[in-house]
Amino acid sequence: MIIAERKPLNEIKSFIENYRKILIVGCGTCATVCLAGGEAEVKVVASGLRIGFLREDMEVEILEDCVTRQCEPEFVQPLVERVENDGVEAVLSLGCGVGVNFLADRLESVPVFPGVNTEFFGAAVEPGVWVEMCAGCGNCILHLTGGICPIARCSKSILNGPCGGSQDGKCEISPDVDCGWNLIVERMKKIGTLHRLEELIPPRDWSTSRHGGPRRVVHEELAPVPQGDEGPAS
Amino acid sequence: MVPAVLKSGSNFERVLRDGHFAVTVEIGPPMDCNEEVVLEKARLLRGLADAFNITDNQTGVVRLSSIASAVLIMREGLEAVMQMTCRDRNRLAIQADILGAAALGIKNCLCIAGDHQSFGAAGRLKGHPGAKNVYDIDSIQLVAALKGMRDDGVQQGGDPLEKRPQIFIGAAWTPLGDPIEIRPLRLKKKVEAGVDFIQTQGVFDIERFRDQMKVVIDMGLHERTAILAGIIVPKNLGMLKYMNSSVAGVSVPDSLMKRMEQARSAAGDDKKQARENQAEEGIKITVELIEQVREISGIRGVHIQAIEWEHRVPEILQRAGLVPRPVLSKGGAKDAGKSQNNGRRG
Amino acid sequence: MEKPSEASESYAPCIVACPVHTDTRQLAEYITEGKYEQALDLLLDTNPFSSVCGRICHHPCEQSCRRAKVDAPVGLMKLKRFVIETTQDYRITRREKLQPKEKRNEKIAVVGSGPSGLTAAYDLVKMGFQVTVFERAQTPGGLLGHAIPRYRLPYSVVEEDIEDILAAGVKLVTGKEIGQDHSIDDLFEQGFRSILLATGLSESRTLNIPGIDSRGILLALPFLKSVLSPKPPSMSGRVVVIGGGNVAIDVARSTRRLGAGKVTMLCLESHDEMPAWEWEIEEAREEGITLMNSWGPKSVFSEDSTVKGLELKRCVSVFDADGSFNPQFDDADTATVPADTAIIAIGQYGDLTCVKGSSLEVKAGERLTSDPETLSTSREGVFVCGELLTGPTSSVEAVRDGHRAAKSIAHYLDHGVLLTQPYLELPSLDDLPDETAEKIKKQAPVTVEMLLPQERLKEFTEIEGGFTEKEALAEARRCLACTTGALADEEKCAACLTCVRICPFGVATVEKTAIMPEEKCQACGLCAAACPAAAIALKRFGTNKMKEQLQDLVTGLKGTSQLPEPLIISYCCLFEVTSRGFVHEKAVEYGKSGIYSIMVPCVARLSVPDILSPFELGADGLTIISCSEGSCLYPTAEERLLGRIRQAKSVLDEIGVGGERIDYWKTQGSAEVSWTSFWEISRRKVHQIEKGSKGHDYSGEKTSQ
Repeated sequence: MIIAERKPLNEIKSFIENYRKILIVGCGTCATVCLAGGEAEVKVVASGLRIGFLREDMEVEILEDCVTRQCEPEFVQPLVERVENDGVEAVLSLGCGVGVNFLADRLESVPVFPGVNTEFFGAAVEPGVWVEMCAGCGNCILHLTGGICPIARCSKSILNGPCGGSQDGKCEISPDVDCGWNLIVERMKKIGTLHRLEELIPPRDWSTSRHGGPRRVVHEELAPVPQGDEGPAS
Repeated sequence: MVPAVLKSGSNFERVLRDGHFAVTVEIGPPMDCNEEVVLEKARLLRGLADAFNITDNQTGVVRLSSIASAVLIMREGLEAVMQMTCRDRNRLAIQADILGAAALGIKNCLCIAGDHQSFGAAGRLKGHPGAKNVYDIDSIQLVAALKGMRDDGVQQGGDPLEKRPQIFIGAAWTPLGDPIEIRPLRLKKKVEAGVDFIQTQGVFDIERFRDQMKVVIDMGLHERTAILAGIIVPKNLGMLKYMNSSVAGVSVPDSLMKRMEQARSAAGDDKKQARENQAEEGIKITVELIEQVREISGIRGVHIQAIEWEHRVPEILQRAGLVPRPVLSKGGAKDAGKSQNNGRRG
Repeated sequence: MEKPSEASESYAPCIVACPVHTDTRQLAEYITEGKYEQALDLLLDTNPFSSVCGRICHHPCEQSCRRAKVDAPVGLMKLKRFVIETTQDYRITRREKLQPKEKRNEKIAVVGSGPSGLTAAYDLVKMGFQVTVFERAQTPGGLLGHAIPRYRLPYSVVEEDIEDILAAGVKLVTGKEIGQDHSIDDLFEQGFRSILLATGLSESRTLNIPGIDSRGILLALPFLKSVLSPKPPSMSGRVVVIGGGNVAIDVARSTRRLGAGKVTMLCLESHDEMPAWEWEIEEAREEGITLMNSWGPKSVFSEDSTVKGLELKRCVSVFDADGSFNPQFDDADTATVPADTAIIAIGQYGDLTCVKGSSLEVKAGERLTSDPETLSTSREGVFVCGELLTGPTSSVEAVRDGHRAAKSIAHYLDHGVLLTQPYLELPSLDDLPDETAEKIKKQAPVTVEMLLPQERLKEFTEIEGGFTEKEALAEARRCLACTTGALADEEKCAACLTCVRICPFGVATVEKTAIMPEEKCQACGLCAAACPAAAIALKRFGTNKMKEQLQDLVTGLKGTSQLPEPLIISYCCLFEVTSRGFVHEKAVEYGKSGIYSIMVPCVARLSVPDILSPFELGADGLTIISCSEGSCLYPTAEERLLGRIRQAKSVLDEIGVGGERIDYWKTQGSAEVSWTSFWEISRRKVHQIEKGSKGHDYSGEKTSQ
């Protein structure tokens, strides 16, 4: 799950203050699950903004919407149409950064503002608590570390850890942060593969990660087939 | 046990090869570009240790670089151990700096991960907590890379080196860190990667340290690398307490705490006296620790860290009986030159 | 009959069990909301004999109430009675609504003014037909008015129901017996297009045993009628009542009130088999009546032709293997019981005088040929309903039959053919699972004191009163609101599991999307308030209704010249109110000074947008008042609400309006005692905030900034 957190309302308000007709769009997938930007949050943000504008005697029309995902053209198309038909001047997206980018691409001349700070890929370790677990490095090595990612969960992304800063299972940077390598050691003990940590994991090829530039995945089987084909030539 | 051919020809290497109990001392560079600070410390400590570590942006605080400081102290005739953290440089910059260091005559390098940039000297300084950290490669991968450059004549990426850097490769070890059972294994990994010497995190709990060393000896690691015990010189009770609670891998036994406490309270209300008492106790403790670790088999020397207290180091080494240091014959220097000129092993 | 809640395929079991399917669940809800008039409309729309049933119904609704598993069923009958007693003025004024819009030409005659006949008449007159009811007695009501003892059913109660019916336009002709004064054929000649026979079972059966002709042997119905006459008989000595049904109990209890010393009931049935209602048997016992079960009368022995006692034989079984009434006796096992009076209450049969002179077919044993599904007789246009058709039933079932008859007749007159009406079984909500029942907070049922038995015997007054308003509100709140729980919109649900984690009753689960099984859901609303996809709605608590209320309020205020400052909205927990009078008067009074209260059934259901919306509409402050310490029905609800209030406050802080404008109070004592103080404190605080932020002066005009 992509985990995000809503930006403070005063910051959001500063983005949209000069527009008179705003559409707030929520996202029904990750943003909903992590309580950052689902339909319920759209209502809260809309309400907060209206209250703020009311206090300043400003006439701002705030429309609300929510789509299943902001990263699919089919789900976003009705929004594009709505923006045009309703004369929306600015869009505030409560979806993750992907949603903002995607909407902005499709809206072109209408500005799209981010309503949340997108943070990480994570999971709920207990109700209401999400923790970063994957760094999207592009070449997963979890088979070497008992399923616990050293790149995401070690503050230094050490591949042959732990470093000397590990104390009582916590990382040197904060007692709230688990030492990722401590978790790895404990896990591999349980699985019975601790000895594998003797093997040196060599320096990593980071080109598969964002360090290698923005990435792209292609599945050709989904490429649209031109209509009117007679079928494969025999 | 005694390698026939010197890898770097450094004084430090020789001392170890010749079987002496080695001494290294840490020098902390200033936060500005005032070379005099470094030079003064160098003058103060000259001749008291076999080599001198210069820290590299320690605790995430920007200081005069380790390489530059190393060159400065070499001007005063001291041998430098440069420190290279993985936090601030990617593998290109690390290798470039190694080559530069070697070209400048630096012969020892300690490879460490480096404290996270959020440290800022444990919150006492502003530091640069928002900096992007690198950690492109980790300390063990760095050891291996260095070894590859020195012994195989290749850069980490595979390109060949004609003139190889003759560097004595070191790494850190936290014998009592969490999780404790992994520590000997990690030492082994470093040894496998080719580490020549190890400087441990400061040791106060001799009992437990001894226990860990037993494990290490069972694994035969003490013969494949030279382990120097880290000795941190405590100034006062507060410092002991802080290290025990907040510095990972350092544990201070109650007995030492008590001694420092007694020293302090013996002065009553006299603050000046209390400081002096504690300082004296601290030195006493340091000397005892040195003597104790000397008795542990597998320990080939000590690494003294007297943070901003360098001026007491002479006294400590004196009382510990570690000075004067062996002065090696000029022949040793020739040896170093020879091994430097050899592109390959015979 | 109302459709089930939109979310649900099944009905609350109380509704299913009621023969006329009164929406008792909605009834309870209206009462909690103080909507007593709407409650009355609800009752009377389904059952014109609501006053009567509010006294004497056997309340199958209560017997199937799912709350019984938790502590005790909800006292629905008493709630019904409360509504009737509280809305007497409204009952009169609502009659204007009852006039049919279009009148029709067809005339219909109803024979008999008992509950089934009058219900049919009422329905038909509201459809526009011209209806005349013929009653042979001088007053209407049938057995309701002429047999049931007054301690169970005062005549004024019967009159209440009948007056509505007559006010709708039903013509009542008393003192005229069809079959005697006019025949059915006469009625057709007079222009009636259809005739409904609703004469009930007005004759008492007797026994064919030796000595039955002795003096002192009475029949139940004539006896009960005499009790209601201006000169009721006096009783003394020993009375034996033969029979085990409710009529026998009525007879026995009446004799006690008339002075009888020892009263014994003789029944064929064992205690458990007795057809009388359990609570009636219990009350009879309390009043000193002795039961002799599993005995049958063998003969009467008398002296000077006056009854002296009865000889009894042991009844070994009452019912057949297939359940038919077929008592078997052991003649060898006998007993005697002395009696000065013996009253036979073994059953009733119909008086078929009404069909005299007509061609209606009557079968052997005085049974009218009839079809229970079409309610037709052998003669076209002549229908039959009520006990005459179905055999002995309860009053509410008679009302049902009256509805069916009206439908049949209307259909016949519209289409010329008969309408078949099979009895449809409504799907009922499943039982409350044990593990859910355990988690529900127990609330002891409100009890009303009954007259002590010795007091009761003094006269024929009612032995039990109804609820006060406070009691009715407390009892109505015990309703579990079956079938009105949470429903997740599949399209919006992101399967985020928030509802599963929040639900304090362990109800919600997620398969592909969230599901809240109806039989478990307690309609607390915590999941709906927390759902990040705003995908869950509760049928019972319409947030939209509340928003509309708010919107109307503010729009109304904006229309007036003086917008109160500060304007404060107060969400108050409805369940703390002990009289709606307080809400209407005090709340109105406070409204004039700028504090508008909105009653919410459990403020823990308020979502963050609910808490913010008053500010959106221009309010300066919000005061939330929850129930008193320990009262909340839903575990964790208060903590969840406080979390949402914190969120709303931080939104207001972030936007620069100030979260301190929201206040949260817990009721102390009761609404009446504590709410006004809370309002005052909150008002003063908001006033200060306003002064500070905008430089208002006390006149309420804004100073320049």
